[in-house]
Amino acid sequence: MTADRLLRLYPPAWRARYGDEFLATAGEAALSARNVFDIVMVAIDAWLSSDVRNATRAWRPAADSAGPAASGGGMPMLKTMLQCGRTSSGVTPRDGLIGAGVMLAINVLFAGVGIVLHRSGWTATGEALKGLAFPASFTLSMPWWLMKGTPKRAQAAILGFTMALLIAATFIATKI
Amino acid sequence: MAKHPDLLSGLGRFSEPALYILISLADGPKHGYAMTQDIEAVSGQRLGPGTLYGAIARLEARKWIEALPAEERRRPYRLTSAGQRVLRHRLESLRAVARVGQARLAEA
Repeated sequence: MTADRLLRLYPPAWRARYGDEFLATAGEAALSARNVFDIVMVAIDAWLSSDVRNATRAWRPAADSAGPAASGGGMPMLKTMLQCGRTSSGVTPRDGLIGAGVMLAINVLFAGVGIVLHRSGWTATGEALKGLAFPASFTLSMPWWLMKGTPKRAQAAILGFTMALLIAATFIATKI
Repeated sequence: MAKHPDLLSGLGRFSEPALYILISLADGPKHGYAMTQDIEAVSGQRLGPGTLYGAIARLEARKWIEALPAEERRRPYRLTSAGQRVLRHRLESLRAVARVGQARLAEA
């Protein structure tokens, strides 16, 4: 996995602002698992953090500022997934749709189970599942777009490692 | 010494990388790769590219660092006067904590 593929995880404004220097810093060689995890986690942060949006907003070309990406969050990310077919990554629009569907389904599943558990008195576990919904859905949708073309074993290792970390972090969060 | 809020701690998990970046820029502008090299030499910590730019974005949003014109694909950053103040305050806090710790160790 190289940094230029992972860069697609980041919001368009972030890529416009930091993309070139990020790639120059990360290099073009294959990244270590630690750096892949680091880049994926900070990509999620880049979509969610108002600080990061503030840092990139001024940099964005004026013509782009009124577009749907201006609001940040899930819709621009789905749009990015659906645009994958226009790149040379081998990801087709069908892959993008499947990835988006998987992401949506897992989000709904986790959030739904979380709400049920919460109402059944399992408050901490319910909250944890709801918190896990977005990162888990994002991670599990990656084989259809960001990891397209990556060997199955590598996909399984990265997904397994990331999911184990997410679940461990969520489990610890329910205990503190 | 009057107590000031520790502004860097407001950066959450990026507060330590941000401190390293401010220290790295204290002796002059550097681009991302030079910062990671310098930080590794000074602290022994190697910042991942994601963490590095996550911290840079936050420092830039607070105007504690500013970007200079790009040199090819690399863009150097420099410390602003506000960034210098934040760094100076943070280092003074750390020095005070270290002084207390060393004094207590000496008494033990």
